[in-house]
Amino acid sequence: MSIEALREAAAPLIEIRGLTKRFGTNEVLRRVSLTVPKGQTVAVIGPSGSGKTTMLRCINLLEEFEDGEIIFDGQPIGYRLASDGRRRRLPERDIAASRSNIGIVFQSFNLFPHMTVLRNITAAPVRVKGIDRATAERTARDLLARIGLADKADEYPIRLSGGQQQRVAIARALAMQPKLMLFDEVTSALDPELVGEVLAVIKQLAEDGMTMVLVTHEMQFARDVADTIVFMAEGQIVEQGPPKTVFANPQSERLRLFLRRYHEAYLL
Amino acid sequence: MIPQALLRNFLYLLRGAEYTLLLSSGSIVLSTAIGAAVGLLHAFGPAPLRILVELYVFLVRGIPLLILLFAMYYMLPYVGIDLNPTAGGIVVIGLYYGAFMSQVFRAAILSLPKSQWDAARGLGMRLPLALQIVIFPQAFRVAAPPFVNTCMQLVKSTSLVSIVGLWELTMAGREAVERTLAPFQIFAGVALIYFCICFSLASYGRHLEKRMQYVH
Repeated sequence: MSIEALREAAAPLIEIRGLTKRFGTNEVLRRVSLTVPKGQTVAVIGPSGSGKTTMLRCINLLEEFEDGEIIFDGQPIGYRLASDGRRRRLPERDIAASRSNIGIVFQSFNLFPHMTVLRNITAAPVRVKGIDRATAERTARDLLARIGLADKADEYPIRLSGGQQQRVAIARALAMQPKLMLFDEVTSALDPELVGEVLAVIKQLAEDGMTMVLVTHEMQFARDVADTIVFMAEGQIVEQGPPKTVFANPQSERLRLFLRRYHEAYLL
Repeated sequence: MIPQALLRNFLYLLRGAEYTLLLSSGSIVLSTAIGAAVGLLHAFGPAPLRILVELYVFLVRGIPLLILLFAMYYMLPYVGIDLNPTAGGIVVIGLYYGAFMSQVFRAAILSLPKSQWDAARGLGMRLPLALQIVIFPQAFRVAAPPFVNTCMQLVKSTSLVSIVGLWELTMAGREAVERTLAPFQIFAGVALIYFCICFSLASYGRHLEKRMQYVH
């Protein structure tokens, strides 16, 4: 591998610096900084209310933030510092363009109920990216085949199980050929026996080299699939590192407590 | 007993109903257009326009339709505006029901879960596209029953224009009563015709609702 290629591979796809988010006087994110290199999977864990989901939603500006900056693929997300030092919101066109390169999958699937599975997947590629319908449908059918739902193309989402709907939601995001995928507790709304099929799809993506940030409560899965574990509490990143280190040798009392509670809850 | 007065005047009533239908369809089209525009501005417009639009809705909803009709027919000529009576009726009823329609549409749009917006925006859609392919198709489904309901109200309200001298079904009925002195028969006929119009509207609404369900 040439030096350029190595540098390219190690270049960060996302850089979050000093991200701060307030709801009124309540600071839900406090100067969070995080770097995600290309091709890596980062799993964010932490107690509920720690700001994990809010941070994830800031990355594609589904949530506004008050301070700090997010650089995605060299471009600022949402705001830019003007020469006079003020923050300027970027035009909607730029924000939408960034979003079209970032796939997001939600806890509650959020498929479009009035569209068939196939239309759910092709709508954005055709209408946002201007890809012709025939090509978009071919891509969609390929994606459906990959997630084992080739026969569901013409069904409406309501006819599908939760696990199937979530897999379609992943395919819908992938159809935009994103550079980054965000997963927001995507298995939390699923029956336990349906979790595995969704995790298998995500694991495959990690192996294919997709850059991903996932907020999850599935510790075992995070350990298996992530390159980096980020532990958040009270709006801050308390600890981060490779899964082995973080799980086997937590440095902070806060993480030790969190892991102990987790194990107690699941081993009972 | 054969209702002879009614039978002899039934064609006359039907000719009145023709004008009721003309007034109704004109006003439905106009109020739907106003309602859609005002509803969208109310939900997404810039602040100054939103305030203007709220004022319109607030005012119109608080004034009886009959008073607005009086204003139209007795006051406008004073300021030099002379509208064709039928067109005037359509404008007043359209403006009046436009305020109600705007709330039907706005409520339908706002009733959709925020998660649908998240999904649309997350895919890189901007407001107009998100509205067009994600929000409107779902909002129509929510809006259909109250929309049809408002249309039925509108049809019945067209009878008020007879008070300001416009000729339509109710006016035709009043004339027929004066000729025949058989108010019970004639007004029963008038009521039956109104009922038939509204019943067709309601049936069409139900048909629409069924067609818009996601699973067939």
